[in-house]
Amino acid sequence: MDITTSIPTSGSEPAVASLVARVENLTKSYGAHGARVDALREVTLGIRRGEFTAIMGPSGSGKSTLMHIMAGLDSPSSGRVWLGDAEIGGLGDEQLTLLRRRRIGFVFQAFNLVPTLDVEGNLLLPFELDGRTPSVPERQWIDELETVLGLDARLTHRPHELSGGQQQRVAIARALVTRPELVFADEPTGNLDSRTGREVLQVLQSATRSYGQSIAMVTHDPIAASFADRVIFLADGRVVADRARMDASEIASFMLSIEQVA
Amino acid sequence: MAAGSTSTGLREHGSSILVALLSSAFGVALLQVTGVLSDVIKADELTGASGTVALMLAVVAWVFIAIAIYVGSIVTVNTFSTIVAGRARMIALMRLIGSSARQQRRAVAREGLVVGVIGTIGGAAVGTGLAVLLERVAVWVGWLPELPHDWADAGLAAPIVAVVLTTWLAAWIGSRRVLTVTPLQAIGGAQPLSHDELRARPGRNALAITLIAIGTGILVLSVLLGLVTPLAVLVGVVGGILSFTGVVLGAHLIMPPALRIVGRMLGRSPSARLAAANAVRYPERASRTTIGVVIGVTLVTMFGVTMASFRQLIQEASANEPEVYNGTEDLLMSITAVFSVLIGVSALIAAVGLVNALSLSVLQRTRELGLLRALGFSRGQLRRMILAESVQLTATAVLVGLVLGTFYGWAGAQSLLGSAKGMPGIVLPGVPWVIVAIVVVAAAVLTLVATVTPSRRATRVSPITALAVE
Repeated sequence: MDITTSIPTSGSEPAVASLVARVENLTKSYGAHGARVDALREVTLGIRRGEFTAIMGPSGSGKSTLMHIMAGLDSPSSGRVWLGDAEIGGLGDEQLTLLRRRRIGFVFQAFNLVPTLDVEGNLLLPFELDGRTPSVPERQWIDELETVLGLDARLTHRPHELSGGQQQRVAIARALVTRPELVFADEPTGNLDSRTGREVLQVLQSATRSYGQSIAMVTHDPIAASFADRVIFLADGRVVADRARMDASEIASFMLSIEQVA
Repeated sequence: MAAGSTSTGLREHGSSILVALLSSAFGVALLQVTGVLSDVIKADELTGASGTVALMLAVVAWVFIAIAIYVGSIVTVNTFSTIVAGRARMIALMRLIGSSARQQRRAVAREGLVVGVIGTIGGAAVGTGLAVLLERVAVWVGWLPELPHDWADAGLAAPIVAVVLTTWLAAWIGSRRVLTVTPLQAIGGAQPLSHDELRARPGRNALAITLIAIGTGILVLSVLLGLVTPLAVLVGVVGGILSFTGVVLGAHLIMPPALRIVGRMLGRSPSARLAAANAVRYPERASRTTIGVVIGVTLVTMFGVTMASFRQLIQEASANEPEVYNGTEDLLMSITAVFSVLIGVSALIAAVGLVNALSLSVLQRTRELGLLRALGFSRGQLRRMILAESVQLTATAVLVGLVLGTFYGWAGAQSLLGSAKGMPGIVLPGVPWVIVAIVVVAAAVLTLVATVTPSRRATRVSPITALAVE
């Protein structure tokens, strides 16, 4: 996978095959006139297909808002949002629901498995929501994920019977089962100890390397971001830097420099 | 969060206040009405001398009042334990600051006392108002003579005090889980508090099973004795009370399996499956939510079946000697109607509890609902899920109630009437179709009403809720 691709900008509406998601002049404001807060100001960026991208920034930098909007969970105040070649900025609830169900995967900080379903039930949920059973190749894919993520012996366990690391593996498997175009991970290691956290990051990294899965991870942890192929820095609702792979100490010192300016 | 929990206070306790209000209104109204009737009877020269009729009336009234208060208490215990589970974080914070668990529990119980007092005062007013209205109408129509009546009889204090005390006690029992909240739960990352899971309770289980076994044995005996003498029904009453007490005590053994069976019949769609799992997620809570409705439906059905069986027999007999049984038909109908309405009040209280339980459980599942939305549950699927949960709770309660009620009703009819019938002396259970129809329609309405608020709330949950970290 070519990670040096730059963002081509031919015309006002670039059809960019190598971008899995992008936003253009995206602004998001909260509150009314007097107490208006701009969470995002005129952000333009693209997430490249087949890459593990980290979106970094201090608290309040707008990184979570950016993810919510790119994932169709929140609507932009102005600007445009695409997932693949589909513009999603103006879609209604029903279409956004289908989009999340079929084309996007989520990994959350708090794991967020459905507590009443066992591991297998959680993994099959995305298919069941669509009212279908997995096809033969899909079933093989599920089996492979279960094996790779070491879940084979846990399929009948309920989430509360698993450790945090195991729960997060299940969540990652659930995000990958439908082979979504893009997986959003929101502080996926935030609730894990550092060793388990590293294992989870390696899982995400190898999902990109082995299967070409596009992943966008929001984090403020430099170690987590160091697993990514590309790091985008946000501060104060703007993109302040867009770098290829960096190591944790580089990221940490860059973050420090942003904080000192702010 | 702190501001939220104080402002939601009234909303949280709204249903408990309503339950206390209904219980005390029912108790006061019933005592007022029987008081008026007693005055009328005393004024009558023939019956006035003996106090037996007045005493009988009071006893019957108190049986119904006791059932209503008992059902109300179960509902309130359930409501408070659900509220406490939802407040775990707040309680943990108070514990962290240095409040003792017992202080916290006393505070919750005090809320129960306040709820009881507010509800009961309202209920006394409503109940008296209703009774006065009834009396005026009855006098106006000419059913009752115009007599002076004391509307502030001292005996009325009994149901009022009973409701206040039972509400307070129910809040105390329901707040038991406060003791298990640790200060650590206030610090982030803690798992949401698990609700009162099913605990092994060998003592209670053994008692429930023993009561059911002995009670059923006595019922069988009464059915056999009934072939010889109608007095067997008195034996049957004992058996019925014992075994039904066993059923209520052992609700946590009976209701969850019944809920699972009904849940399986709802289908295999993800909405239905999640709903089925949700309904039995906290078996203790589900049992308490449904048992009130079971009690109401069982008693209504029981009276209905006994009376219908009796009617069948009378109809057979009156075909031979119509003049002897003239008028009994109407009398039986009126008795059935009055008893059904009186028990219906308990069922209504149980229904309030069921609506509230579903509502609270959805409120406390906000985050999970957000997750389902994020994963691609449509609003329609969420609505169907909540409807399926509601259907499962009401359908199970009604089915169990109908089955138990038919059995008890038939046992009663058989032991009362078996000897009156020629050989082979088997009384077929009469099916009170009107009552069954009313129960089913009421259950359907209850199912729908219970989903209105939770559905609206659930479909408003944003998927972002699932991503947010508290």
